Formats: sequence, C-alpha cells, structure tokens
Amino acid sequence: MSGACSAGATALKRHPLFIMLGCLVVVLLLSLSLGQQPINLLQIDELQLKILLELRLPRVVVALLMGAALGVAGAILQGVFRNPLADPYVLGTSSGAALAAAFGLLASQGSATWLVPSLALVGALMTSGVVVALGRDAWGVRAERLLLSGVGIGFFLSAILMLVMSLAQADGVKRALLWMAGDLAGADWSLVPAAAVLMLLGFVLGLSRRRGLNALALGDEVAFGLGLEPGRERMLLVLAAALLTAAAVALGGIVGFVGLMVPHGVRVLVGADARRVLPLAAVGGGMLLCLADTLGRSLLPPMELPAGVVTALIGAPWFLIMLRRGMR
Amino acid sequence: MSGLAFTQVSFSYGQTPCIRLFSVQLAKGQLVGLIGANGSGKTTLLRLGAGLLRADQGQVTLDGKSVGSWRGHERASRLSYLPQTLEVPLPFRVLELVEMGRAAGRHPQRLTCAEVLEMVGLTGKAELPLAEISGGERQRAFLAMTLAQGGSTLLLDEPLAGLDLRYQYELLALLRQLCQERGLTILLSLHDLMLARELDRLLVLRQGELLADGLPGELLQPELVCRTFDLDPAAQWNVAWQAHKD
Repeated sequence: MSGACSAGATALKRHPLFIMLGCLVVVLLLSLSLGQQPINLLQIDELQLKILLELRLPRVVVALLMGAALGVAGAILQGVFRNPLADPYVLGTSSGAALAAAFGLLASQGSATWLVPSLALVGALMTSGVVVALGRDAWGVRAERLLLSGVGIGFFLSAILMLVMSLAQADGVKRALLWMAGDLAGADWSLVPAAAVLMLLGFVLGLSRRRGLNALALGDEVAFGLGLEPGRERMLLVLAAALLTAAAVALGGIVGFVGLMVPHGVRVLVGADARRVLPLAAVGGGMLLCLADTLGRSLLPPMELPAGVVTALIGAPWFLIMLRRGMR
Repeated sequence: MSGLAFTQVSFSYGQTPCIRLFSVQLAKGQLVGLIGANGSGKTTLLRLGAGLLRADQGQVTLDGKSVGSWRGHERASRLSYLPQTLEVPLPFRVLELVEMGRAAGRHPQRLTCAEVLEMVGLTGKAELPLAEISGGERQRAFLAMTLAQGGSTLLLDEPLAGLDLRYQYELLALLRQLCQERGLTILLSLHDLMLARELDRLLVLRQGELLADGLPGELLQPELVCRTFDLDPAAQWNVAWQAHKD
C-alpha cells in the first residue's frame, strides 16, 4: 500500500501537470454528476440535461474559474510579500468587495442578480487601487507599506460592513452572510464572460512577470542585482493578483484557504519556480474549489454547505498539520 | 575605462553623511577587500557601486558609463551584486537560483548553468532545495547565481559572514580562482582581518572616508587597525591580535 502511494507521489512529482489535469477531469465529471439529483452522464433525460446545462455546468465553471484565480493570486502574493502566509485577501480586496456587495444585497432585496457581483467587482478593484496607491513611494510599491495599507483599509471597511449589517433587516443580513461565506448556489452564466476576461488578463500579466516574481521572493536587493526594478515588478504583480481576486470575489463571494493552501501544495510538488507554480496553482485551485462545492452540495442533502465553509473546514486542519510538520 | 570606478563620491542618508569623497578604480582580475568598523559605510559603498543608491556628489562608473544609466539587463550582464542578508522564504532549488542568474545576463558567451554549478562544486546538489544544503553550500549557490549572469565585476557584501573557518577558506579560494582564471574583479566587504590578509588589495574605510588603500600585508599593522576600529592600542585584546598575527 505504502509502495503504491510512494509510486503515485513519484509519478506526481515527475509529471505534475498531466497528472493534475487528469485529476481535474475526474473532479469535473464528479462535480457534474453529484448533487441533490445524481446524474448519470451516459444516460441523460431531458430534465437532467436542463439541470446539467442551466444549474450544474455554470456552477462548475464558476468554481473552476474562482478556484484557479484564487490559487494563482495566492501564489503571486506569497512571492511578492515573501510571506508564505499571504493570501489573495491581504490587499483588503475581500473587505471592499464584501462591503459593496452587502450594499447591493440589502438595497436590491435579491431582485437584480447582476448588481451584487458587479458591485463586488467595483468594490474589490477600488480597494486594491487605494491600497496600491498607499503602498507606493518613489521606489515603487514596497512590500511592507502595501501589507500595512491592506490590513489598515481591510479593518476600516470591515468596521463599516459590521455597522451596515447591524442596521439592516434580518433577511438581507442572511443573504449577505451567505455571500460572504462563498456560496455558489446562485452561480449562473451572467458574469462569467467578464470575470473570465479579467482573470485571463491577470493570469497572463502574472505569468509574463514570472522572472520578477521569482526574483522578488529573494528580496528587493537581489532582484535589483538581477537587473529588475523591484518596485515596478511588484506593482505589476499586485495588479495581476488584484484582477484575479476581484473577478473571483465578484463571481461567487469570499472563499478562504484556496489561495493560501494551493500554492503551498504545488510548491511541495514542483519547487518554488513561478514558471511551474502559476499554471499548476490554477489547475489545483480550480480542482479544490470544484471538489469543495461538490462536497458542499452532496454531503447533507437537501441542505447545502457554502463552498467557502467546506474549503475552511478542509483547509484549517490541513494548514495546522503543515505548520506542525514545518516546526519539526 | 572598463570596470567599476568611484570618483569623488559622497553620499548622505538625509542629513547624515555616510560616504565622503571616495575615489577608487578597481583593476581587472583583482580580489579586493573592504574593511571598516560597523557603520563605516561598507554596505553603502557596495550599494552605490551596484547602482542601488545614487551618489549625491561624484560619479560611479561601470565600463565608462554612469552605473545608474545602464538599463537593468545591461547592468546585470556586466555587474553582479549580492547583499549580505539572503533569506529565501520559498523552497527554491539550487538550479532554479542559477537559472535566475543566467536569465538576467544577456552576454551570449556566458557560462551554462551546468558549467557554473561545476565551478562552485554543486553539480550533485542542483536539484536540492536551498533549505536542505549547508550554509557554505548555500552561499556558493548564490555565488553561482551571480556568476551565471556572466558579468566581470562582482560586489559581495560580507559573503564570508556566518560560515565556519573551512567554508570561509573554501569560498575565498574559489573567489581567488575566479579572479585568476576568469579575470573577474571582485570587491567584498569583510570583518575578519586574518582572511583579509589573503586578498590582493584592501580598502580601509573609516567614518565614510577612505583611510588606506594598498596591500593587506602593508596595511594590517596595529596602528592602522586601532585607528580603523577606534581601539585602545594598550588594551589586552590588541596583544592577542598581534600574537595571532605572528
């Protein structure tokens, strides 16, 4: 048994992309099949086809895109901040998106489906913009300033959110809480094209600065010695992470731990080189969130657990185990 | 004028002067040491040489042109700089580090990663994460990264700090070999005066000024050492140092 495990681990280290893509296909098929109404993909009737195309497929695509974006954004920000604990929300993006989305949820009473994600996107992008502007000086964007700005702005916006929630009606508060827990139950196609374009832009920008990302992880002085402008590289990479995170949050709310966990898992397999980490973080993130959402809607039917709750329930113990291993 | 040259360079941090009217030309193939007390300006001088800081007065030139006026990749192809603090929070492997250096340089005839790894004696450790090799090997891995850039001038800030005696001498021997066989010019800061004796040339800094410039054997005399480090010539430690020297 242990021999088989060890052979599997070796194969995974040798061909990580192929094996992870294979696993992703399996997860996608499972995700399309499982739910309150199990569907045999080889024998589909008309009703099941409708469920598949109108409910399950958009949900799977949203989970895939969100997870991929959060995985890549986490990998970028952990390198930019030289901190393995950084996650996509360190820029205050989640607080800005949550506040804007809460306004939308409370004001619209759930009537305008496009309003909440659009507001979340604007809130996330605006917050990231303010944080980056505060993190800049003559040198460019500095890691410490950026981190402090993100934490400060995040706390401020969270305080306003709490104030808004405490003054709102119970029905709106529940919807807002579900949104903040990363509930993909309401996922549809409406915002997928716009979010996918933003994510693609963020991914291409991040991948194009892979050399800068590697060098920044060694420190600004080393990066400068390698012929780069650390402040400029950091700004472009933060912009990439902000685009990815804002688009992800707009699609399905705030899902924690994917952006923290996935880059660590990928680095265990392929090392720290951004050339390999970024594509694999996209595959791993998409796979993890699809799996979490599938579990969330299959474990306790007819009740659904938000995907963000499942990732936290998986992620927190995993994180503590990794921490203990690291301490040994 | 090829190589690195400082001409009447002065630099201040705000109102605090740090380097005053420093002039030095580094000759090709020389292994040059920079010594001085803490706060004497060694790191600042190396940063000025690398182009990380701009001189308030005077000029730092690299291959005849102001070091700050080279484009990033052009500078990185001519000069490599390694700071003192090298913390790597992510699990990079030795080969990945060297590849980063090679990607930074543009010189078509620069060495391959395999050649550089062989030069620093890390061929068998290329695939290992930096966290799994010794401190001396780690320092050599970073040196390999700078060598892979293909430049002819290396600025190293206390590369021997934190290494035991064996690793210090091994690294120093490697640096000397690079100067002699490949014609590199290396300027390194250091604190150990015994190791400083092994270098071709010493620059002695005191409160941001060049106190002395010459051969180690000539400069490392008790009087100059006491002056450089503000020591009491009559103190007990000084006797110990002289005994050590003999």
